[in-house]
Amino acid sequence: MDIFEKNRANELFAKVIVLALLAAVAVLGQAPTKGWAQRTPDGQPDLEGYWSNVTITPLERPAELAGKAFFTEQELAEREKRAEIPRSAEQIAGTIAHYDFHQYGLDMTQTKHALNLRTSLVTDPADGKIPPLTPEAKKRAAERAAERKKMGPYDGPESRGLGERCIVMAHEGPPMLPPAYNANLQIQQGPGYVAILQEEIHDVRIIPLDGRPHLGPNIRQYLGDSRGHWEGNTLVVDTRNFNDQTNFRGSSENLHVIERFSRIDADTIVYEFTVEDPTTWSRPWTAELPMTKIKGPIYEFACHEGNFDMVNNLTQAREQEKAAGEAAKKK
Amino acid sequence: MVGLAVMAALAPYPAAAQAIAYKAPRTADGHPNLNGIWQALNTANWDIQDHSAAAGTVVSLGAVGAIPPGQGVVEGSEIPYQTWALAKKKENFANRLTADPEVKCYLPGVPRATYLPLPFQIIQGGKSIMIAYEYANAVRNIPLTDPGQSPAPSWMGWSVGHWEGETLVVDVTSFNEDTWFDRAGDFHSDALHVVERYTARSPDTLTYEATIEDPKVFTRPWKMSMPLYRHVEKNAQLLEFKCVEFAEELIYGHLRKKPSK
Amino acid sequence: MRTIFSIAALLLATSPALPHHAFGSEFDANKPLKLRGTVTKWELVNPHSWIRMDVKGPDGTVVNWMIEGGSPNSLFRLGFNKDSLPPGTEIIVEGYQSKDGSNRGVGAKLTFPDGRQLFLGGSAPGANPDDGSKK
Repeated sequence: MDIFEKNRANELFAKVIVLALLAAVAVLGQAPTKGWAQRTPDGQPDLEGYWSNVTITPLERPAELAGKAFFTEQELAEREKRAEIPRSAEQIAGTIAHYDFHQYGLDMTQTKHALNLRTSLVTDPADGKIPPLTPEAKKRAAERAAERKKMGPYDGPESRGLGERCIVMAHEGPPMLPPAYNANLQIQQGPGYVAILQEEIHDVRIIPLDGRPHLGPNIRQYLGDSRGHWEGNTLVVDTRNFNDQTNFRGSSENLHVIERFSRIDADTIVYEFTVEDPTTWSRPWTAELPMTKIKGPIYEFACHEGNFDMVNNLTQAREQEKAAGEAAKKK
Repeated sequence: MVGLAVMAALAPYPAAAQAIAYKAPRTADGHPNLNGIWQALNTANWDIQDHSAAAGTVVSLGAVGAIPPGQGVVEGSEIPYQTWALAKKKENFANRLTADPEVKCYLPGVPRATYLPLPFQIIQGGKSIMIAYEYANAVRNIPLTDPGQSPAPSWMGWSVGHWEGETLVVDVTSFNEDTWFDRAGDFHSDALHVVERYTARSPDTLTYEATIEDPKVFTRPWKMSMPLYRHVEKNAQLLEFKCVEFAEELIYGHLRKKPSK
Repeated sequence: MRTIFSIAALLLATSPALPHHAFGSEFDANKPLKLRGTVTKWELVNPHSWIRMDVKGPDGTVVNWMIEGGSPNSLFRLGFNKDSLPPGTEIIVEGYQSKDGSNRGVGAKLTFPDGRQLFLGGSAPGANPDDGSKK
């Protein structure tokens, strides 16, 4: 049986196992309140390993679920079952000309995720909605949009997003949210440090635990500057010093992120983040999502090195302009 | 008393083989503690062999762009290129301004990542060791148990580590052919096999050795070695040098709507 | 805490932001492709893998096409590797050509001549490699 046949056989097998799991899930009661007791050799609560933060829960509570913070187990099981249908390439990409994510194992239906009874990732405010933008933030968003309008969509690399330029992907944050695929990260702990490696785009946040101050205000970074400490079994990470390209849901470089990592069992880390930026939101807000353990390793995602699309897109834009120019001359 | 003094004078000085080697403090799980922020202090990234000072490739950078002199890190000085490969190296050197992957901010490969002029950090966990490099946020995870086969070649290779006494030995395979060893055009094929050895030699220095094997390019294995120095300043940390944004003008500038070239 | 966290393999579509480019900008939905040819090289790179294939035209000339696919990282997790699509393998690619009409396209559907999907099923649910319930 070659690997292609083997994987088709596994698809059927996986479906059977999954239905059994769903049944098991419906019977589970409260989350275990006892924390994960294992420690790293140097005595930190053990968060090490490979994790996926894929989630089906939307960031904000949908309007039709207003006032409902949690699904019942039955409701969630029904939702999960309806979700078995893999999305088509068109649904994912919003455009017809695309490869099929499913063929490459990149569809969300093909990865493991942790179940979540919440109806939104946002837990505070209680309505599950991100607080309103300040007037300053609205002005900033308008200014950014106006700047973009000055350029055509393919005038140069700066016309594209940071992700398309392979500089940094928006989901990396912090706060960390799942990308469309390869939502994988590795946590590695050494004496005095926790390191978090995100697969896209191979960025490592190395978080010192020794209580040192943040970098001075004149060093700014795409991923900010993180400092960590333990509160019991919870790793608390404080990040500042974002650069002027920072735009987390409309934020400025004044973004301040506090993340909390709590491993509640062998397979689950509860990841919670609070973001504040008085120049952006009227108040801080908090979201929570579970991360589930996956089989490693993290594979290399050398983005910039293989970024043929940037060259192709810019080249085609210039060719189209040239063709349009020549056509205009003939008129 | 005189007899003892004579005895002491006649006692043979410990032979090199019997010299007490430095033993690093241990991590909690009993291995040499190599955690820290390290950096090479040499000009190997310019040229891994002996080289005099020389003019650089960009006239307008003047002395800032000049090549500093350096003694090589290759044991025995010669890199045993096959005949065709030596010609290829010379061609690389002539074209280095455009051909060196470092200019485009491409991932540096191994061992070049170790001796770039930027620091790197070793984060030693129980089951694996992560090495994060400030340059381009390059990173390697080195499992201490068999990770199985590499599925495909990569820029930073496929690493597996084990301890031999005081030394961390890392076996690296499955490279692509796209990295160089230095800015002087020293190169390899996708058959590259590197064995690294990291050994503490004092509280704040390591000895780094890399044995290079590539039957498509070299006539025999060869080796480079160098000390690595700990960053001892208070609050030392790796900073962000993504560098992609600094290579965009170079790579895409001619494709801009208003070309800068 | 009422939230329950546990493991399941299947999921609903919320769409987190796509990491990269609008494919419609590079490939033309009005230039559909159907190519039959032999693989010359399978480049397992990110952010997109590429299949290079020789396609014989009606006049007998052989043209090498470059077909864009997905990130290979999940394929690795499923046990595929650089030897899974050896040179010489005959495949059929349905997709769309690049806007400039060059020998480049995106492979929306990839099959062997007998109709089997190249890597994974296009519409079958499941196929979860990371499900802790199976190895």
